[in-house]
Amino acid sequence: MRKIYDFLFKENPVFVLVLGLCSVLAVTTTFEKSYTMGIVVLIILVLSNTIVSLIRKFVNTEIRIPVYIIIISTLVTIIEILLNKYSKPLYDAFGIYLPLIVVNCIILGRALSFASKNKVLPSIKDAFKSGIGYLVAISLFGLFREVLGSGKITIMNDISILTGYRFIIDVFNNEVLPNKLFLSSGGAFILLGLLIGVINAFNGGDE
Amino acid sequence: MKFKVENGPHVKSEETTSKIMTRFLISLTPIVCFAIFKNCLLNYYYSSVTFIEAIHPMLMIISAVLTSFISELLYFKFILKDTWENSFYEINRSFTIIPGLLLALVLPPNTPIWLVIFGAFISNILGKMLFGGFGQNIFNPALLGYLFISVSYSSLMGSPLNAYEIDTLAGATPLSNLSNLNYYGTYEEVVGSFGTFLNFFVGTIPGTLGETSKMLIIISFIYLIATKTIKWRIPVMYILTAFIMTLIIGHNIELGIWYALFSILSGGLLFGAVFMATDPVTSPITPIGQTFYGISLGILTIVLRFLTPYPEGVMTSILFMNMLVPLFDKIGLYFKENIKKIWILIILFIALIILSVTTISNNIKNLNNENASNPLDNKVKIVKKEKKDNETIYSVTSKAWGIIKADVKVVDGKIENISITDSSGETQWNEIEKNDYINKIIERQDDIDNVDAISGSTYTSDGLKNIVKKIIESELEDEG
Repeated sequence: MRKIYDFLFKENPVFVLVLGLCSVLAVTTTFEKSYTMGIVVLIILVLSNTIVSLIRKFVNTEIRIPVYIIIISTLVTIIEILLNKYSKPLYDAFGIYLPLIVVNCIILGRALSFASKNKVLPSIKDAFKSGIGYLVAISLFGLFREVLGSGKITIMNDISILTGYRFIIDVFNNEVLPNKLFLSSGGAFILLGLLIGVINAFNGGDE
Repeated sequence: MKFKVENGPHVKSEETTSKIMTRFLISLTPIVCFAIFKNCLLNYYYSSVTFIEAIHPMLMIISAVLTSFISELLYFKFILKDTWENSFYEINRSFTIIPGLLLALVLPPNTPIWLVIFGAFISNILGKMLFGGFGQNIFNPALLGYLFISVSYSSLMGSPLNAYEIDTLAGATPLSNLSNLNYYGTYEEVVGSFGTFLNFFVGTIPGTLGETSKMLIIISFIYLIATKTIKWRIPVMYILTAFIMTLIIGHNIELGIWYALFSILSGGLLFGAVFMATDPVTSPITPIGQTFYGISLGILTIVLRFLTPYPEGVMTSILFMNMLVPLFDKIGLYFKENIKKIWILIILFIALIILSVTTISNNIKNLNNENASNPLDNKVKIVKKEKKDNETIYSVTSKAWGIIKADVKVVDGKIENISITDSSGETQWNEIEKNDYINKIIERQDDIDNVDAISGSTYTSDGLKNIVKKIIESELEDEG
């Protein structure tokens, strides 16, 4: 139990390392968009770490960044085409932030610092660790932001073409909440700051 | 022989923060009294409000001050885990009630109490304590709280008019009245509907709680300067810049000196300049930095007032400039050493003033020329028109905040349905949906001029109303 908590919150790439914030701040207006973004990043992270680890002996140190970028962008393009084909609303909702996964620091960071030096299985394990950390962080943040910002929890709406269900929970709708501020980008920054603050307080600060 | 070793600073002044803040509170006292006199006593005397409604403004001030006090006390006790005695001691040193008091004074008199409490809580905890307490905050805490509640609950903030003012004054505050007139009007239109300049000076015009009485603010300002509590450069340069800019604007659009006087006497300009911009924690310390800080505040306020749909602009510009305080301190230090180079800075700021003044004057002229011809032609355009028997379908675009695109179905000369195809440019669209505004304007299409706009999304409402007006006009042309 302690181990799970540690790897989810003490080594979390978003809350502790403060990496990959672009998508965390931009697409989290609904819970659904948040967790699908998390899953997409997880898939790309695992695949890219696997490929990078497989070809680590053929890649020179000098040219490794272009090579990794090509690998990651290929994967992202594949996912992009698949999403466009099978879940158009989600593809539209992500907009520019889907191609921007290419420059997500978590993916490139794991490729550079771990997968390029280790064997395949440890690399996949590492990818799952970081990816699930990111998935938990972005889902949690999206959940908070949607509950406070629009008073709903959207579990399935845009992806209902795939699953066949629509599932939206109404939490509250009074004059205090929902508060539009949290849907705006400024509110996203404030909320993320508070969330990081609370989690760091539980982790015991910087001592 | 014994040596005494101490850390600096070694020069001790009689001016402690406690004395400064006490004087600050003393200077605010007459303003609070006048706010209570104007919004409680006069309101109770002239209109038929109940006792509770009449003392509402007083309750606002009390609840804001109490919330500030209690939230900070609890923060010291439970988050920082001090003892009770220590917490009370810390609170005495951190002047906890000032953000709450200032916040209550910049709010309109009809703001709900819970909103005031929320704002005061945000001011003290988010704006002050989370930054590290008194002396550490980057932004003015009261303004941060104001920003929070005005951004999120603008529709609940309530009108700035008291009950007795609503009966006599058709418009809103002087500044929103000016903004509705497209910044151009005769003396009677702009000033006359609120009385004379004496009313502006004494403070019997609608506005937020603390900002109305310019006379008391000036007296407080003189007291604060005489006791060397605040820095005179910031407010003086701020108001002077605003005055000169509006004077030139007034000259360009052929209005007299009263236009500039009106500009500085209306709204929260004086209050913000004296009590908000001079906050010792969030303003520059170098004299040159202070001077140019004041000038920038003036430019920014006038630009915000005349070029954006928000009629006030003082609070926003102070918050924005708070961010640049370290920069202005650096500028001040640099030019203190290189005083000969200061003409660079002066030319730069004069160029900024000329640029913004010409932009604003041209904008006012364009706005009013548009109105002279048919204003609707510029705002609403019919893209497509399909006729079938007695049914016509129009595709229109209308200029609001952004561009609204809509398909309108007309049967027998009556609008039956408006389906919006694009409203992505509107930031306050959910207010429209919440109020079911589209059905409202369809119902009352014959009487469209008397449909009220939704407060908080006036531009969008006007954009929708213009669509209806344009379609009716076009239908009338077809018949005739």
